[in-house]
Amino acid sequence: MLSPLLDALIFFVLTTPLIGLMGQRFGREKIFVGVYVTFGFIFSLTLIPLFYSEVLRKNGISVTYGGSLSPEIVCLEANALSIFMAVIFLVIGFMASLFSIQEVRRGSITGYYTILLGMVTAMIGIVFSGDLFTLFIFWEAMCISSYALVAFRKERWESIEASYKYLIMSSAGSITVLFALSFLYGLTGTLNISYLSMSLAEAESNPLSYMALVMIIVGFGLQAGMVPFHTWLPDAHMAAPSPISAVLSGIMVKAGIYGLIKVLLSIFTPMSGPWQNTLAAFAVLTMFVGNLSALLQDDIKRLLAYSTIANTGYILLGLAIGSQRALTGSLFHVLNHAIVKALLFLCAGAFIHKTGTRSLKELAGIRHSMPITSTLFIIGTLSLASIPPLNIFWSELLIITGGLEAGTQAGTPLLSFLMIINLVFSAAYCLRMIQTVAVKKETVTSEKAAEASMWMLIPILTLGLLSILIGVYPSPFQNLAEAAAQAARA
Amino acid sequence: MACSVILFFIGLYCLIVKRNMVRLLMALEIMMNAVNLNFIALSSYRVEGSVHPLAHVFTILSIGIGGCIIALGLVITLYAYRHYRTLDVRELRRLKG
Repeated sequence: MLSPLLDALIFFVLTTPLIGLMGQRFGREKIFVGVYVTFGFIFSLTLIPLFYSEVLRKNGISVTYGGSLSPEIVCLEANALSIFMAVIFLVIGFMASLFSIQEVRRGSITGYYTILLGMVTAMIGIVFSGDLFTLFIFWEAMCISSYALVAFRKERWESIEASYKYLIMSSAGSITVLFALSFLYGLTGTLNISYLSMSLAEAESNPLSYMALVMIIVGFGLQAGMVPFHTWLPDAHMAAPSPISAVLSGIMVKAGIYGLIKVLLSIFTPMSGPWQNTLAAFAVLTMFVGNLSALLQDDIKRLLAYSTIANTGYILLGLAIGSQRALTGSLFHVLNHAIVKALLFLCAGAFIHKTGTRSLKELAGIRHSMPITSTLFIIGTLSLASIPPLNIFWSELLIITGGLEAGTQAGTPLLSFLMIINLVFSAAYCLRMIQTVAVKKETVTSEKAAEASMWMLIPILTLGLLSILIGVYPSPFQNLAEAAAQAARA
Repeated sequence: MACSVILFFIGLYCLIVKRNMVRLLMALEIMMNAVNLNFIALSSYRVEGSVHPLAHVFTILSIGIGGCIIALGLVITLYAYRHYRTLDVRELRRLKG
């Protein structure tokens, strides 16, 4: 018994292939697997409120296996931060699985859904793990499923090339994290997060611990798309099937950010000065490179992928500023960006499904043939450009004011200023996307397109409504993010 | 421990310099082994003459995970060979932008 949520999800992952087999016997594989996976997601989502109230009542729960809590024990922990991330992962994963009913070919549907569900489960395992050992196991499970999903359309050269690049870079990153973990283990003799932070606080500053810190920032940052290590991200997002791009950009990048938040804030608190400066430098570089490269793209999914890199930069910036307000902004931005980027990738997926092209030039004027999808795409783009009544505006505002509030020491107002410059760049490419979709004349390709089917429209509409809802009524969501930020700093 | 650090950097060097897809996977494997060795070495530092069970468990699981990664990598390499008719990573540069 780990925890009810994780147990249920692991059960669903393991039984999906059996259901697929039964479906094949009856000749209705798609319906069987689709219904079963949807049921799995809904069931896990209903477990969340029960679990959340229990966590709030006990102020964080932990489950150990094999004995009582000691430095050597392996355990699961849940606090407000883990539940916050788990809800985001489940919602986006659910939307992607609804969307993919139309995308996936008949023969491979069981494998696809099993790996997708397994990836979401592994991510939830990451946020629930209370020691770095468990975290690493779930981390690798997530990475392996995502390599397989990027290479899913194996008959196309671009998915194979992107997946190979991604596999080499990402496994090098996770091995670097593992190496850092071995040093931490050597220094303290434990991998449990709460014991680690205690023993590191007692230990004298050792060059090995700084080495471990750098390696952890590099390894988790690689998964989060931090700039010198970002080159896998646009390729993988472009070559993967569209719902998988939404999952990669919406939540898998966030798992990397969760790793950074967890490790930096709870283990390396005594060394907060050095890592904050390092992280601030990386964050500024990340947002400039992301935004400037996005301006040059013609491929719609590549453009969105570069914008994901830029948004990672904003989130890391909030983490680097490190005050309560900025961290709340960061976590709130994780939520908002996951919703908006999943919305945009799913809309782009609907365009690509109907027209067969990813080029913005050929998608010009698609508003006339796909009105509903285009409207929601425009809502998402406006939100990405941080226009006030939509959701991303609020979290960016929190990060910027957090930077200004943190005072003049360490030059945090300068960071806020750099972020505002970046918001102008991002508004530029967002306006270009809107102009292409809505204002330009129709091309031959976009004239032929028809409105997307119902299974594609349901997740798109849900995510669009969520985006508007959070924009108009941000305070309850912001409170959740604030509770999560408090739990992260505790 | 010095040995494992040297192994890690040999792996990293291979990863940067080599051009063959299978050799890159081998470089990953060398790095993975360096980490496992490091775990065992560091755990025997703490208790004289024996290896802590936590390090053992971790190492065995991480060997398993390494096997998964390499298996998937070889599958992808196989498909890449079918598409490109070469194992040279320099040919895998069609994605640009």
